[in-house]
Amino acid sequence: MKDIIKLSLILGIFCTAAAFSLAGVNKITRPRIEMERKRVIKEALEHVLPAAKIITENKTIDEKTYYLGYATEDTTQSPKGFSFIAYGQGYSSRIQTMVGVNNKGTIEAIEILFQQETPGLGAKATETRPGEDTPWFQKQFAGKFADDIKVDKDGGEIVSITGATITSRAVANSIQKGIKWLSDYVKFEKEKTITE
Amino acid sequence: MEDKGLFKEFIKGIYKENPITALFLGLCPALAVTTSLINGLGMGLAATFVLLFSNIIVSSVKGIVPRKIRIPIYIVIIATFVTIVELIMAGFIPSLFRALGIYVPLIVVNCIILGRAEAFASKNSLGKSTIDALGMGVGFTIVLVFLGAVREILGDGKLLGHYLFGPEFEPVLLMILPPGAFILIGLILGTINWIEIRKNQKIFLKFKEKKLITTENPE
Repeated sequence: MKDIIKLSLILGIFCTAAAFSLAGVNKITRPRIEMERKRVIKEALEHVLPAAKIITENKTIDEKTYYLGYATEDTTQSPKGFSFIAYGQGYSSRIQTMVGVNNKGTIEAIEILFQQETPGLGAKATETRPGEDTPWFQKQFAGKFADDIKVDKDGGEIVSITGATITSRAVANSIQKGIKWLSDYVKFEKEKTITE
Repeated sequence: MEDKGLFKEFIKGIYKENPITALFLGLCPALAVTTSLINGLGMGLAATFVLLFSNIIVSSVKGIVPRKIRIPIYIVIIATFVTIVELIMAGFIPSLFRALGIYVPLIVVNCIILGRAEAFASKNSLGKSTIDALGMGVGFTIVLVFLGAVREILGDGKLLGHYLFGPEFEPVLLMILPPGAFILIGLILGTINWIEIRKNQKIFLKFKEKKLITTENPE
C-alpha cells in the first residue's frame, strides 16, 4: 500500500512538473501564435478576394464567421465578394481552407490555411509546381459553382491528387458545404437558372 | 581513454547499432515520411533534436525514477518535450514550423526515443547518453535521407524538388506509396545482411587458415 502511494506521488510530481512546463511555454507562445494566425488569415483574405478594397467581418447566430468584401470604402453598397473558412476532416488532420466567393456564387480563389496530411500525397494540396505561382490543386477551384465542387470520383469537376482521394474529397466537400451554408446568410445574384 | 569510449558510443549509431537497420526502431515514421529527400532530412533532424534532449533529461533524473513506473514517466517526459518544441516552433519560427509541420508531433510515436531512454539513458552517464543520442540521431537521419532520396527520384522524378528527367519520364508511383517503402527497406536490410554474412565468412576462413577452428560450419 505504501509502495503504491509512493509511486503515485512520484508519477504525480513528474506529471505536475510537465503540466507546469507546458502551461508556462503555452503562456509565452500563445500571443505569438495568435498573431501569426491573424496574419495568415489577413493574407489569405487579400488573396481570395483580390478586388476588395475593404473587408469586414460578420458573425452568425451560432458564432461562425464570414467576411464581406467591398469594392469601395463605402460599406453601405452591396459587397462584391464573400469569404469564409471551410473545415474538413482529411486523412490525418482537420484541413482549413479560406474560400473567396464572388456575389454571383462562383469561387474567386481558395487558399488552404492549414493541413497536416501525408507528405508526398495529401500534402501535395499545398505544393506548387516549379514555374507556377499557386498550387495546381487549389487553382482549379476558381470559377466553379458549388454544384460542380466534388472530386471526379464523385461526379464533380475537381481533379483529385493521385493517391490522395481522402484529402482531395475533404477539401472539395468542405468547400461545397461552406458555400451552401453561406448562401443561407448572403444573397448571390444567380446567373445559372434551373432551366439551363 | 574516456575520449575513445565516447567516440565509440557515437559511431555505433551510424552502422553497427543503426536504429533502423540494426535495432529496427523508428520504422513507422521512417517509411511513412520519406517521400522526398527534404522530408527525410526534416524528420531526421527533428527526431535527433528531441532524442538528444530526451536522453539528457532521462539520464539526469535516473536517480529519482522508480523502476516500476519508469515507462509512464519517460513517456510523459518525451510527449511534454515534443509539445514544447512544437509550441516554440509555432510561436518563434512559424516558417520552419509550417515546413516541418507534421513531423514534429510524429516524433512522439518514434520508438527510437523511448527505446534509447529505456535501454541506454536510464542506465548511463549524462555524457555518454548525450553522445549516444547524437550517434543514433545521425544514423537515423542518414537512413531517412537515403530512403527519401531514392523514393523521390524513382517515385516522383525529382530530387530536392527539382525535376531530374524530362516530361517523358513516368515515375514509379509505387515507390512513393507504402509498398514502395517496404520494398526499399527490405532491399536495404537484405544488402546489409549479405554484407555481414560475407564478412563473417571471411573471418571464419581466416581463422580456419590459422588452424584456430576445425569445424566446417561458420556459426
